[in-house]
Amino acid sequence: MILVLFIVFVVCLVLRFPIAFSLGLSCFVYIILNGIPLVVIPMKLYSGIDVFVLLSIPGFIMAGNLMNYGGLTEKIVNFCNHLMGHITGGLSLVNIGASMLFAGISGTAVSDTASMGSIMIPAMKKEGYDADFSCAVTAASSTMGPIIPPSIPMIIAATLSGLSVGRLFLAGALPGLLLGGGLMATAYFISKRKKYPKHKKSSLKQVLYSFKDTFWSLLMTFIILFGIIGGVFTPTEASIIAVIYALLIGTFVYKKLNFKKVQIIVLDSMKTSASLMLLVGFANLFGWILITEQVPQLISSEILGISTNKYMVLLMINILLIFVGTFMETIAALLILFPILLKLAISVDIDPIHFAVIAVLNLIIGLTTPPVGVCLFIASSIGKVSIAKVSKAGFPFLLVSFVVLALVTLFPSISLMLPSWFLD
Amino acid sequence: MLKKHIEKILKLGTIWSVFLLIGSVLLQIFARFFLAQAPSWTEEVSRLCFIFSVAFASPLALKSNYYIHLDVFFNMFSNIWKRRINTLILICVFILFFVLAFASIKFVVMGFTENSPSMGIKMGIAFSSMLILGITMCYFIGLKLIKHLKKPQP
Repeated sequence: MILVLFIVFVVCLVLRFPIAFSLGLSCFVYIILNGIPLVVIPMKLYSGIDVFVLLSIPGFIMAGNLMNYGGLTEKIVNFCNHLMGHITGGLSLVNIGASMLFAGISGTAVSDTASMGSIMIPAMKKEGYDADFSCAVTAASSTMGPIIPPSIPMIIAATLSGLSVGRLFLAGALPGLLLGGGLMATAYFISKRKKYPKHKKSSLKQVLYSFKDTFWSLLMTFIILFGIIGGVFTPTEASIIAVIYALLIGTFVYKKLNFKKVQIIVLDSMKTSASLMLLVGFANLFGWILITEQVPQLISSEILGISTNKYMVLLMINILLIFVGTFMETIAALLILFPILLKLAISVDIDPIHFAVIAVLNLIIGLTTPPVGVCLFIASSIGKVSIAKVSKAGFPFLLVSFVVLALVTLFPSISLMLPSWFLD
Repeated sequence: MLKKHIEKILKLGTIWSVFLLIGSVLLQIFARFFLAQAPSWTEEVSRLCFIFSVAFASPLALKSNYYIHLDVFFNMFSNIWKRRINTLILICVFILFFVLAFASIKFVVMGFTENSPSMGIKMGIAFSSMLILGITMCYFIGLKLIKHLKKPQP
């Protein structure tokens, strides 16, 4: 009977049903065929959403949107340009650096590609960078958003596993920085080889002046992080503090917000959050069915039947997650696969925090993996370049991402060092 | 006319649920730092506001096409098939939310037999968010379906 659940789910996905509803419909068919009372649908939907830590998701989305309304993206790009624009291929480094800073505010790869791409791709093309390279850099750099804290996929992972959000945030920081460093080095070498332009070096005064503009938005990331790590706020409280902070900065410093605009931003943020929450709710129902049918145990025993070696298991999990990540949205894939694979990972002595970082990293790399990486599509449509060209130009970046993934997988200390320093 | 009124109610419901959520979390933080004892009901209020804000915002998200889906395979179909599939999607999703609304009635009734731990309110009130979600989603999907049948789009 469990086969029916998967068949309906896959058919719905292929036919372009929204992912949340695909989960709901497959569960509905399963429930009808098994004669389970229908009341279980609202029950599981409700209990899936009624989790305190999930309240932080609309908070972080709203804080990011409020900040963005004040022209944050341009300010971050301007600051990075003054800081790194004088290096060969400066704009590509600016693109990556700005994505790293923007990651602390947006938390999702798709929004990062769209907002950063609409500014950086035309600017790079105008300065003589190849369009496919500009798109590839933008797509690759946007993957840092969901791993550098505050990260929405990490909040979801915490909700699914009961792990500490603070620990997961910290665990993602170093792999995110490593990824950023790797992408920057790759962009630099390609730029050197292709003789891409560089700007005149900015004076210290210019750097400091542009920093003043971005300071307030960057401070938000630190308030969130250190508030959670220091035990001052829970993640939900930190997200609401971030909203109030963004509201005050947007109104009194950037002077771009008024009550009407705030209402529009609240509505927009809640529409995004609600679509995610229905996904979470229906995934809770889906997960309940999987547990009832003992699917996690089945998958565990199948994989452990092939090998019980920790690294072989990790390799198999990595391949599966990369494959799923290429065509499925990060959060949806995480909701379905993370609880199943976590049990398997724990059974071969993999630290759950380490595993959460591996899972998120895999899924976000999938966003730039051809032929169906979502970020590649967004970047190519902004840059008006074929997906094939962007995929080809993005290959070196993808290779670097795989190297970082391999390092993070093989050396747990990359993920676990910061949580143990700050929280143990 | 009715559509406009419902949309306005949903927008106001979303905005005020969010404002109340923010207020109760802020109160929680304030009480922890500045009062001798923090009220125990703030977490419950914020969770309740959150669920209602999701219930109000979900149909608005549907109207604005916020739900993520996979385009890869769909683009391989011809326009005629795309139109047919879109009709199928709307009918199936309508059935799903109709069932949700129908099953929520029993869920709400069950909820009136239990009280929430901190505030002591009937859980049926909280569970009614699922009923609101089911009904409003059905309404907006129904409107989309009628519009689609009148003027099919790939």
